Formats: sequence, structure tokens, C-alpha cells
Amino acid sequence: MRRSSAVILVSASTVTLGAGWLVGSGYLAPAEVAPTAAPPTVPDSNAVTDAPEGTGAATQAPAAPVPVTVDGAIIDTKYGTVQVQVVIEGDVITDVIALKLTDSGETSIEVSARAAPILREEILAAQSTAVDNVSGATFTSEAYRTSVQSALDAAGFTG
Amino acid sequence: MGVHIFDAMGTTVSVRVVEGADVSSARLEDALAGVRHAFVAFERTFSLYRHDSELTRIARGEVRLADASPEVRDMYAAAVGWRARTGGAFTPHRPDGIVDLSGLVKAEAIAAAGDVLRQAGFDAFTVNAGGDVLTAGAPERGFWTTGVVDPADRSQLLTTVRSDDDLPAVATSGTSERGEHIWSTPVHAEASLRDTIAQATVLAGDIVTADVLATAIVAGGRATLDAVTDEHPVGVLAAFGDGTLAANARCRERVVR
Repeated sequence: MRRSSAVILVSASTVTLGAGWLVGSGYLAPAEVAPTAAPPTVPDSNAVTDAPEGTGAATQAPAAPVPVTVDGAIIDTKYGTVQVQVVIEGDVITDVIALKLTDSGETSIEVSARAAPILREEILAAQSTAVDNVSGATFTSEAYRTSVQSALDAAGFTG
Repeated sequence: MGVHIFDAMGTTVSVRVVEGADVSSARLEDALAGVRHAFVAFERTFSLYRHDSELTRIARGEVRLADASPEVRDMYAAAVGWRARTGGAFTPHRPDGIVDLSGLVKAEAIAAAGDVLRQAGFDAFTVNAGGDVLTAGAPERGFWTTGVVDPADRSQLLTTVRSDDDLPAVATSGTSERGEHIWSTPVHAEASLRDTIAQATVLAGDIVTADVLATAIVAGGRATLDAVTDEHPVGVLAAFGDGTLAANARCRERVVR
């Protein structure tokens, strides 16, 4: 356990990610958990939201990797505050999620302009909405006759 | 408000014009004739379905691109510019190497039709050619609305968005109907279903940008979707091959509630 403790100290002093891995497990943090990808943050074991169940036996081989989600600390930069969340499976970072992005500076604006997953319900328009036009993958002249647009156009004729 | 319908470029065009009280029917008829002419003129030059169009003659090898008319060379240059700006996802060449500018020409015709209506003094109208919609101004009730077809059931709408002065154009591209001139580039080859985009709707400041970027997103998949929203001030709604949806803030804030 002496060696294990030494690793814990090193990990904790460099990255939150390593510390997160270790909570409640007792076995070695993978040395490869990339310190470079971690946010510049102080150790915060409370950030762990999904630590793997450990057996406490340092000699036992780890089970299949369980995704671990770690929130980085909130960092003040010259562009504003930034916070990221990192998902780790085994010793691989599988996702980096921006929890908080500065609203000044071009990069953060670019990131927040991206299309994010939505549920159908989120973009469901009001039933009473009057629709002027329909946008769809190009309809041919023949397909037009059976299209929603042709019904709209027919309804638009007032004589 | 009247609706005026005619066929052009293998699809159907509907034009809605808000007529002010002082508009004579003759002025409206003249403007609509100008709109039809805009589509006919582009079709005469650029259609690959006409045996006598300039583009068909280029495809047959009778005319070199370098010797083509300024209109054709400008359109080709514009298409090559879009190819560069979309990382190759939008391209002016068919897989067999034939120059095909139809991905650009319909939108250019819509834009030209809008210019005709504006010059005739109309400031509130929509021009819808085959599901690509340019709006200007607003009808009496406040704003123009455009329903987006559900790619899984084309008789249903996925959502309805409003147009405004910032993003007056709406275009949708998809893989669900023939007639789409989308040539997949190699970036598409290894895409999984969840990275494949079945339909993309783009809200943009002009109809050419909307149409080209919608085409590019469907051709290029998720990577192009991210690049487009990074680099262009547009609204995007994408339906992936696995049925999931994604939208950015500029699109979501225009959904009509």
C-alpha cells in the first residue's frame, strides 16, 4: 500500500481525475489518465459522481471499466469563468463536456453555437400555429401534388 | 395575401405576396412575370435536363468551362468557393466528373426572384421553390412561419419556425427524396448511423447560404454540422439516421410556441 499511497499523492496533486478514480476503490489509479487533458484545478473528491465499486483489494484485477464522471473546478480565466466535466472509461477520456463557458472570446461563442441533441417535444410547435410555407427535402413537381405545401397553397386561394 | 404557383426546375414554386392597398393588379402581374422569368433564365442556362443548355453542352464536351459565358464561370467559381468553405462537403462536380451547379442554381433563382419583387416595390413576401423558402418583411399577423417536414413521415411537421430580418431564409436538404443533388464525399464513408444526417434544415441570412449549408451538412455528416455552426451565423435543425435530433440556439429560439 505504500506504493499505492505515493501514486495517490502524485495524482491528487496534479489532477482531479486521478483522485476521482481512487475514491472508494483503493486500487491504483491508472498512471495514464492524462494530466494534460485535465482542467487546471484543485483536488476535489466531492466532484466524483459515479465512482466504480471497489473491493478494497489492491491486488485484484480491475473489472471492466465503468464510466466515471468528474466535474472540474470553476476556473477564472481572463475571458471569464470556465468549468468542464470529463468522462473517463478505464484510462481513456471519452468525453469532455463544457458545463460553463465564458461568454466573451470567440472560441467559447463558437462552441455554444453548435447543435446539441434535443427531444422532439422540445421543438414541438403550438398546435394553433398558422404555417405559411413548408420546408422539406426538395419535392419534385409530381411529389408536390401530395405534399403538405400543396394543401397550404390550395388553402391560400381565396378565389 | 395571394398565393401564386408555377412549375420550374422540376419542382413547384409558390409565391406569397402581401399586397398593399395601393398596389394595382397590373403591377403585381408584372412582378410575378419577372419572378417566373428569373427561374426560366437560370434553367435555360444551367439545367442538365435540357439538351440545349450551356451546362449540357459543357457536359458533352462541346464547350470548355474556360470558354463558357461569364454567368456560368461566375456560378462555377461561387460553387468552388462553397466547396472550400464546407471542407469539400458541397461540390460542383458529380461523381462522374460532370459539372453540376444545380445545388446552387435553384437558390440563386429564388434570390433573383426576391430581388424582382423588391424592385417592384413589394417588401413582404415569400418565395418557396421545392421546399426552400425565402421570406421578406412580414404578413399582418407579425412574422412568416415555415413548417419543417418530418423526414420519418413526410405528411407531418417536425416543428415550425418563424423567420425574421436576421435569418429570413430557410432551406432543407435530405436523403429521403430523389432530386437531391448531394454527392457524398469521402468524409462520409466511415460514418455510422448516428453520425449520418437524414435531413438538415438551415436558417440563414440569405437563401443561397441556407441551401448550400443544408446540402453540405447532409453530405458531410456530423463533422460538417459542427463546422457549419462554428463558422456561420445560422440556425440548424438536424435529424440523424438513428432518428435523434439536434438543434442549435439560433434555431430553437425561433420555434413558434
